[in-house]
Amino acid sequence: MLIGLGAASLPQILPARVLGATYSTPSAKDRLNIAMIGVGGMGNGHLGYMLARQSRGDVNVVAVCDVDENRLAAAVKSTGGKATPYRDYRYILERADVDAVVISTPDHWHAVQTVHACEAGKHVYVEKPACCTIEEGKAMVRAAREHKVAVQVGSQGRSQREAFYAHQYIANGMLGRVHTVKCWHYATPSDDHPVPDSEPPPELDWDLWLGPLPWRPYNPRYLHGVFRWLLESGGGQIRDRGAHVMSNALHFLGADHTGPVTIETKGRVPTRGLWDSAIEMEVTYQFKNPDWTLIWAQPGEMVPYPDRERVKREGIREGYGAVYYGDQDKLVVWVGDGQVYTEQKALEYTPAPGGVQVPKSPRFDHHEDWFEGIKTGRKTIMNIEAGVATAFLCVLGNLSLICGRKLHWDPVKQEIVGDEQARRLMSRPQRYPYTL
Amino acid sequence: MNTQSVSLLAAGATLSASARAADQAAVAELVTRIKSTDDTVRGPAWQNAGPYGAPAVGPLAEVMTDPHFEIARSARRAIERIVRHAGRPGAETERRAVAAELVKLLGHASPSVRKHALWMLSEIGEDPAVEPMAALLADPDVREDARCALERIPGAAATAALKKAMTTAPEAFKYALAHSLRVRGEKVEGYPSQKRVPTKPTKVRAG
Repeated sequence: MLIGLGAASLPQILPARVLGATYSTPSAKDRLNIAMIGVGGMGNGHLGYMLARQSRGDVNVVAVCDVDENRLAAAVKSTGGKATPYRDYRYILERADVDAVVISTPDHWHAVQTVHACEAGKHVYVEKPACCTIEEGKAMVRAAREHKVAVQVGSQGRSQREAFYAHQYIANGMLGRVHTVKCWHYATPSDDHPVPDSEPPPELDWDLWLGPLPWRPYNPRYLHGVFRWLLESGGGQIRDRGAHVMSNALHFLGADHTGPVTIETKGRVPTRGLWDSAIEMEVTYQFKNPDWTLIWAQPGEMVPYPDRERVKREGIREGYGAVYYGDQDKLVVWVGDGQVYTEQKALEYTPAPGGVQVPKSPRFDHHEDWFEGIKTGRKTIMNIEAGVATAFLCVLGNLSLICGRKLHWDPVKQEIVGDEQARRLMSRPQRYPYTL
Repeated sequence: MNTQSVSLLAAGATLSASARAADQAAVAELVTRIKSTDDTVRGPAWQNAGPYGAPAVGPLAEVMTDPHFEIARSARRAIERIVRHAGRPGAETERRAVAAELVKLLGHASPSVRKHALWMLSEIGEDPAVEPMAALLADPDVREDARCALERIPGAAATAALKKAMTTAPEAFKYALAHSLRVRGEKVEGYPSQKRVPTKPTKVRAG
């Protein structure tokens, strides 16, 4: 049964090849041809996942792409030399045989590459956070809708088993009316050993790494991995892990299609170094109709996971999570990304007949949910609208901090009101030709 | 810091000679602290620079070219703080005063200063800033930043400036200008988007 999208919204490239096939055992011609854009860090993890699926005959990894030739060479090697390497992802989009792309580049590339892939008719799995600006997010939603492709944003916490139980518990009213969600997360690091600009290493295409960002000289503190600590390319913990923990909050409260009306941030930014994301911060988001408050706090008040043996055994990262406060009870949800843990009372809860049924990713697998979205045309659990709604929280939290004032947001029009400068900062003009 | 006089000058008020001298002293003190090699002195200085307003913009721009990269960065960030402070709702006089100082920087010898001024003006600039910004569309060092900055400024003046540049710009740059005009809702003949045209082959080989 199609859920969410109408039949007219079925993905445009797959039906002829895959719809009607038994997805678990597709014939060779029906296997999705996947291209991996960005193969370091998370991208390398996704590549490993896809290669495992390839070994089971589910997909073909036909192309890998990275602006770092060393990383690219390593990725090709991990495919047994079979995937075609690319430095420039736009070659991949020209290939008619590529059905879908996995985008695991730094944040400042997510929107441009997603929009271009949608325009080329490719299904997209894009790492979180979805976008760096409000206008980027809107463009991503438009592109996915217009080109009728399945987009999954990589906030995989929603697909985890214990997230399902937490969601089910909250959605069935076990906390009463939820009025406050308080997130905690440890601080963003600061660059305590800044270095001057220098020539980029020979394996790196610096121009292509920068892409949409204004040109500037290379500095090793921009990459790899550490791109997260710069506002332009990452945005700190609020955009990295906030895109997980707050994604779950919107999901559990059925608030994907809403937004706050005010955003107010206080924080402390580094006094030196290239990294400019807040070390510590507290963002208060006020939602209306229904009224509730979301608080992102770095570090906030960590709640230790009660089963200390399990913490050791499973390596539970207690450094981030959220407490959901209702007028009858509260619930703690730890971590929020590839790991999600919640309280025993939620795990043991079974809804009464007629109770609220909440979405469940197949096999609690976020990628599997994407594949099902591609196959059936139903909305993925972290579809682009949801991914953008979450990213907007992250973006607005940082925007309130850099403006140094409370922002007012129209969640229907999705725009800042009453503040011309902040309105202009809803977009960031992009360096040509790396544009939306 | 003489907080009262700083805030008055930032707001564009007409000050007495003694108040003006006090403000100049406050800005000079700020610059001295920004130029400190001790980040426990320099850091709080740039982080609290917002209320210094327009009078501090020019002196801080000079520090942006300091050979000590952390000092230069701190000056740049101090200007950002001033712009974000001046951009707050209800501070029109202060914002215009800061924008006017930024416009002066468009003629600075350092491309990094011109570039920063352009991006700062993209946040708070209005029609009076457009023509001097548009002049930099002919500056090979910063013309792409000028295009981006003008793309962000609302109003007919910025659109007209981008259109005018289409008649004189180098052929390759016209594609970028056409993009900005389309973002602003203008129809442009020719110069189709190059955004999905691949240009960068790899040297890595399969197999």
